[in-house]
Amino acid sequence: MPRIDEVSDAQLVTSIARYSEVALAEAYRRHGGAVFGLAKRVLNNPTDAEDVTQEVFLRLWNQPDRFDPDRGSLRSFLLAQAHGRAVDAVRSSSSRRAREARDALRTAESPYDMQREVWDLAVADQVASAMGELPEEERRAIELAYFDGHTYREVAQLLDQPEGTVKSRIRNGMRRMRAVLADAGVRGVDA
Amino acid sequence: MSHDEASDLLGAYALDAVDGDEFTELEAHLETCPRCRAELDSLRDVAAAMGNSVEQPPEGLWSQIAVRLPERTEDDEPRPMPQLVREGDSPFRSPDPHAGSRPRRRTMLTTVGAIAVAAAAVAIVLGIGLVRADNKVSNLQSAQAAPSAAVAAALATRGHRVITLDAGGHGQQAQVVVTPSGQGYLVSSTLPALNKGRTYQLWAIEGNHPISLGLLGGSPSQAAFTMAGSTRPSHLSITAEPAGGSVFPTGPIVATGTV
Repeated sequence: MPRIDEVSDAQLVTSIARYSEVALAEAYRRHGGAVFGLAKRVLNNPTDAEDVTQEVFLRLWNQPDRFDPDRGSLRSFLLAQAHGRAVDAVRSSSSRRAREARDALRTAESPYDMQREVWDLAVADQVASAMGELPEEERRAIELAYFDGHTYREVAQLLDQPEGTVKSRIRNGMRRMRAVLADAGVRGVDA
Repeated sequence: MSHDEASDLLGAYALDAVDGDEFTELEAHLETCPRCRAELDSLRDVAAAMGNSVEQPPEGLWSQIAVRLPERTEDDEPRPMPQLVREGDSPFRSPDPHAGSRPRRRTMLTTVGAIAVAAAAVAIVLGIGLVRADNKVSNLQSAQAAPSAAVAAALATRGHRVITLDAGGHGQQAQVVVTPSGQGYLVSSTLPALNKGRTYQLWAIEGNHPISLGLLGGSPSQAAFTMAGSTRPSHLSITAEPAGGSVFPTGPIVATGTV
């Protein structure tokens, strides 16, 4: 019999559907840090990030069938959930002021440095270099949308560019990243 | 929304950067377009790779999650689960009575190996979860024999061991029966009742590595647990933890015994 820390993520979720708290605890042990890390990065606030992390794992508990192992890893799924919730929170009026203040600071911030943020240095290197290879305007649009929680229309305003241009830049940049990461053997985040 | 318009938006959508009517229309298109769904899945992986940092989550965050897990009652139905097994693909029947009514998104047939693994997982991982004296894991209890009969059977099994966990001289102790196959039962306990919001948790200690065997509740009497076949613990220990349990022991060891 495998131990709990040896079973696959998909098997964990199957057990979560059967109300195994041990399985949920193991899912948290594996992915809780990543979920919290992304939420904190988007929200820029550890307390709000804790709330998002709680919501993500409670939702996994209440609706485990939302995870479809055919559509990606559990880590990817949970990060997408965390990102969606974090962005919702950022866009709510209560945090808008904080975000505006943050944006003001960011204009003067140092260049992109993902390395310290990413736990798996090997993957982090690949991701950082993939982002580094992007044309500046694509990288900037992706960062503003993903890490600062802006819609692509807001990004267009911030960068003073047509919306269609920003939409295409994000799409092209994401595809470029996908190709570079695939060449480097990084496929999703299996944790 | 046309396919091309939807396709153009997928990058932004994977970043949660689409809102309003476009969002609604794009979601509607995704429902009907497997190509866009596949594209979206791969772009979401790219997004996840960008967002994959790890912070140490704050102390106590898991406990806050654990105490918010809804209490269960005997009447709770099993829930839909991720579609690991497709009905008709194998002799294994899905144990979930609702599975047949859920919409399917699968496009690839499950391999026989995956089916076997999935079926085994239901048995194995649930086995590691603990049948508690209270009914929080009631669907597990029904899968087990009544404790007294099961304990009697364990005691009649050749090679069984009775392990006494105590606190080194203090009066409080717990007795556990373990069969050679790894089935175990807490048969008696004089551990004091814990305050609300706390629970006893049983651990197998293997080297310096604690493996949770499950929760015993705040005032344990009898419980069943399964030690995975690969688990060869030197000790069994009980700690007091926040309700919902801990991933690693955080409370003091209140009783321990040599296996």
